[in-house]
Amino acid sequence: MDARLLVNVHRQESAGFLEFRSLPSVSMIVSVPCHFRSALCACLLACVAWARGSTTAEGAAIAGFNASSKLGDSTDARAFWSFQPMTRPEPPATSQSAWVRSPVDAFILKKLEEKRLKPAAPANRRALIRRATFDLIGLPPTPAEVDAFLADRSANAFEKVVDRLLASPHYGERWGRHWLDVVRYADSNGLDENVAFGNAWRYRDYVIRVFNNDKRYDQFVLEQLAGDLLPDGANADGRTERLTALGFLCIGPKLLAEPDKVKLEMDMIDEQIETLGRALLGTTLGCARCHDHKFDPISTEDYYALAAIFKSTQTMDDLKTIAKWHEPVVARAEDYRVQAESDQRVASQRLAIANSVSEANRRLLAARGTNGLPQDPEKLYPSNTLASLERLRAGLKKMEEEAPELPTTMGVTEATNILSSLPVHIRGSHLALGKPVARGVPRAMTLARSPQFGERQSGRLELARWIADPEHPLTARVMVNRIWRWHFGRGLVASTDNFGRLGESPSHPELLDWLARRFIADGWSVKSMHRLMMLSSVYQMSAQAEREAESVDAENRFLSHFSVRRLEAEEIRDALLFVSGGLDFTQGGKTIPLKNREFVFNHTSKDNTRYDAPRRAVYLPVIRNHLYDLFEQFDYPDPAVPTGNRGATVVAPQALLMMNSELVGQEARRFAERVAAEAGANDARRLNSAYILAYGRPPASEERRKAERFLAVFRAGVADASSARADAWAALCQTLMAANEFIYLN
Amino acid sequence: MNTFGLRFGARISRRTLLTGSAAGFGWLAASALMAENAPSRSQINPLAVKPSPLPPRAKRVIFLFMKGGPSHLDTFDPKPLLDRDDGKPFPGQKPRVQFAATGALLKSPWAFRNHGRSGLPVSELFPHVARCVDDLCVVRSLHGTNAAHGGAVLKLHTGSDNFIRPSMGSWISYGLGSENQNLPGFITICPTFAHGGANNWGAAFLPAAHQGTPLGNATVPAADAVVRHIRNPRLSVSQQRTQLDLLAEMNRAHLRQSGPNLALEGRLNSFELAFRMQMAMPEAQDISGESDAIRRLYGLDDKVTENFGRQCLMARRFAERGVRFIQVTHSDGDVQWDQHGNLRKGHAKNAAEVDKPIAGLLRDLKATGLLEDTLVVWGGEFGRTPAAEGGRDGRDHNPEGFTMWLAGGGVKPGTAYGATDDYGWFAAEDKVHIHDLHATVLALLGLDHEKLTYRHAGRDFRLTDVSGRVVRDIFS
Repeated sequence: MDARLLVNVHRQESAGFLEFRSLPSVSMIVSVPCHFRSALCACLLACVAWARGSTTAEGAAIAGFNASSKLGDSTDARAFWSFQPMTRPEPPATSQSAWVRSPVDAFILKKLEEKRLKPAAPANRRALIRRATFDLIGLPPTPAEVDAFLADRSANAFEKVVDRLLASPHYGERWGRHWLDVVRYADSNGLDENVAFGNAWRYRDYVIRVFNNDKRYDQFVLEQLAGDLLPDGANADGRTERLTALGFLCIGPKLLAEPDKVKLEMDMIDEQIETLGRALLGTTLGCARCHDHKFDPISTEDYYALAAIFKSTQTMDDLKTIAKWHEPVVARAEDYRVQAESDQRVASQRLAIANSVSEANRRLLAARGTNGLPQDPEKLYPSNTLASLERLRAGLKKMEEEAPELPTTMGVTEATNILSSLPVHIRGSHLALGKPVARGVPRAMTLARSPQFGERQSGRLELARWIADPEHPLTARVMVNRIWRWHFGRGLVASTDNFGRLGESPSHPELLDWLARRFIADGWSVKSMHRLMMLSSVYQMSAQAEREAESVDAENRFLSHFSVRRLEAEEIRDALLFVSGGLDFTQGGKTIPLKNREFVFNHTSKDNTRYDAPRRAVYLPVIRNHLYDLFEQFDYPDPAVPTGNRGATVVAPQALLMMNSELVGQEARRFAERVAAEAGANDARRLNSAYILAYGRPPASEERRKAERFLAVFRAGVADASSARADAWAALCQTLMAANEFIYLN
Repeated sequence: MNTFGLRFGARISRRTLLTGSAAGFGWLAASALMAENAPSRSQINPLAVKPSPLPPRAKRVIFLFMKGGPSHLDTFDPKPLLDRDDGKPFPGQKPRVQFAATGALLKSPWAFRNHGRSGLPVSELFPHVARCVDDLCVVRSLHGTNAAHGGAVLKLHTGSDNFIRPSMGSWISYGLGSENQNLPGFITICPTFAHGGANNWGAAFLPAAHQGTPLGNATVPAADAVVRHIRNPRLSVSQQRTQLDLLAEMNRAHLRQSGPNLALEGRLNSFELAFRMQMAMPEAQDISGESDAIRRLYGLDDKVTENFGRQCLMARRFAERGVRFIQVTHSDGDVQWDQHGNLRKGHAKNAAEVDKPIAGLLRDLKATGLLEDTLVVWGGEFGRTPAAEGGRDGRDHNPEGFTMWLAGGGVKPGTAYGATDDYGWFAAEDKVHIHDLHATVLALLGLDHEKLTYRHAGRDFRLTDVSGRVVRDIFS
């Protein structure tokens, strides 16, 4: 290709295309529709840059991009590891067999031995129970739980802790939240018009139940993609559950005021395909909307084969601004009964009003002795009649206002028009249609059983079954890798949402496949995976690294020690309230204080959403475009895109929040009050209690001295003697909460 | 927000740690980069000043954002044929996608006059700005892609109307760092939460240190606009100092026990930085030392102009202190410049609120010499249609052709660039797409929009995605 390729950008008004034209010899023309000059096409950039021979060619080079290979459908691309069937590795033999507690350890140790690294010593018990408790339920252990674990000398003491935590109803609140990251959960639309998703919480609560009940992951996948199409079980609750699961497809951000309705629909389908790809398959399918995927074997035909399935699915009931998404009714017999009763009451009230009016009119006619009523007869009613009529009408108004609505949930349904094919949208534009492609799945991931699509169904169910197939090369791998990431802070494939060529290669490929096979063999049980991973030696190592580890493996890819972990936003928030004694453990229910489809903001900047409820953080509203500031500061994922890998940045505004926010100030004061109430007047006893609550350990003598000196100095500086002691204690408790030990786990 | 790795467990050498300790406001946020490359100074402190790759004409940007879409036809782009054909149907083809139905052509209710030595026309809506016209470079051929507020506002701020992308200010902060380590590199004064909200000043996948720091929001008077949590409601400065001293001792002891760890040490320092920012921010916002002449210049003595004037004055103070990108939003928390109806009243009110403060800002920047290396950008997310709406006293959204102006920082003063068609509906000559505007602003700052990239989710991203033309013709 011509290295002197010039890129000439101009706009073709009628079709709205940008065109990259190589000059002088037209050796490459790539057009990108204006509407989609999006990141989807950013990969194109790398190619253009590469073609131009510029320094940014590394994007192409790193990925092994090869000019001569035809991408998108080549057998070469198909040979990429993640598209190949899972292998059946055996745990390797290692020299230090005493360390190998679980097959997981054998794989890890083997790599460490190769790198001449030694595993770190076991973690101390206080660190271990703190690590495991935050890990599984997102809260610190109580002092009693710490004591019990320290006292339990049995060989399976830690196993008992893990089992207790897995059985806790708070487990689903932590691990369900992990999944909510992956499915870009939010309680509002965001993007252009920010309206409330007043029923998204039903999906959130469903996810929490799924984890608590350890629902098979393959079933979980089926329900989220095709819950409405699964055979009906005997009970209605099961159906409600499956319809609620469809929130997965519906809760994405949408351009609800997009004037171009065709584009609106294709953008939405794109969002569904991209989410499905990243969340379930670790594949960036969206790239193929405009062009064959530049790095992974996904072609535009593959993309539109999937798009045909979603085009045959109805997500929106009405595209008129503000567009309305679909919400199936998920009522139970009880809901119908309550509604019928309410309808009955409204009807009889209406009847009473009508009767009262006609009776009054009859009397009026009789009194006036005429046949015709005046224009506004009510003006002539006696005052007591009017008053009673007013009461009846007020009653009706109230009844109507309070009439129960049948519960609905965010979901999708089959479209009235089922398409067996969809034309390729050339360069992603709905204004330039190419050859039709039949519904299908990406060809590079072909399994023994390829789905057959019926004429009357969208094909979502077939797609879902194909994804949940135990032989699918990606589904189980992607999920076990997510679980690993959430336990160890880094995936075996570090790019949890991208298993493609531009993702990272696995650090322990055999372990990944062994875990994936084991996951399927254990009935796709996520809880079994937790036990397997946590009861290993590798999970129970200390966070203290050996000196060699620092130089050989600074990133700790090979797990020679446990990686220090900063708590996530919700854990920080919940730990503050847990330690102060103010956390409300109520589970589930609607928590967003807005009516369904109500504006969070339209033209105004007023947000009435509040975050001061003492419920667990997983239940606080998630407003797209205006996240709770504590969430935002502490690396909460952008709820517009699937995220399996949160960041853990350190920036000064986090410090400002810990120092000055109303929340931390208030919880510190409550913490101090709690310590005073539990430990009495003695400062030493209070210090003991405060350290145990905050860190799960008593203070060392040096710490005790420093704290006491602080209390004295601080008290002396407070003008009002009556509050000096309480102020000093609140300031001390705030310091304990702000310290690194509070939010970093060893 | 970040999908890159959590790598703070990583052990980093003592030398690296020490390099990091001197760093500023947002240091360490670029943790993810460390795994991929050996950390350079800029990665340890993402806000460290980075030299411009190309010779810069401007060092900072003040973006005066007129939310809602001010009408170019009634401000800076006079159309004699529109006056002539008032009441007649638009003779051309209306756009395929329109926001609302429009009627016949509507001439501007305001008269235009040529001003200054350049003789550029400005309508009577902007008498004060008109007197600064010789400093302006009026670009009359802007065009965008989205006819709705949400999409258009996002497009203008982030270059994308359907994906979450870093905003222009974040890219610039990422590209150049900040000249003041005790203040954020990107400040947005009284922004609106509507139509994309925080995405319009968000860093998306860029390191969090580059996100815009909002001061108040559109519903808060400028006088009350502060950074969240910048003041402690309970403790005096000395009490807080005592508290932070204990905290630092505790964190140091904890660090000694856990061994060198970049995140733990970074967090230890972040409290000191926050403490300094608590001093620096109110100082920058405190206008009590400004002279009466300056207050009058910005219109602080008049109820109508006081609020926006204060925003503009704060912008100048931040510019002086080295903040890289300062956005000032004019939005009344309701319909702003969005006059589908009530054009005469609405635009008159809006213009009256901003005209004098903007002129004051330009004069002040010029007098202090700051205008030489400060780029001022004025505009909204789109213009308005020449055809009427709302009982012949309103205009619809028009992303097909509209005006923005630039001043200072290396642009040709007293010039107009590009043109719309005879009626002002479509950009027609020397068209400047929003991507071109972005490319041009970056170029003025010495950044190549094709090279300012960030690797995320396996791809290199740019503010201008796969487009963007630098409009060199407007360079001085």
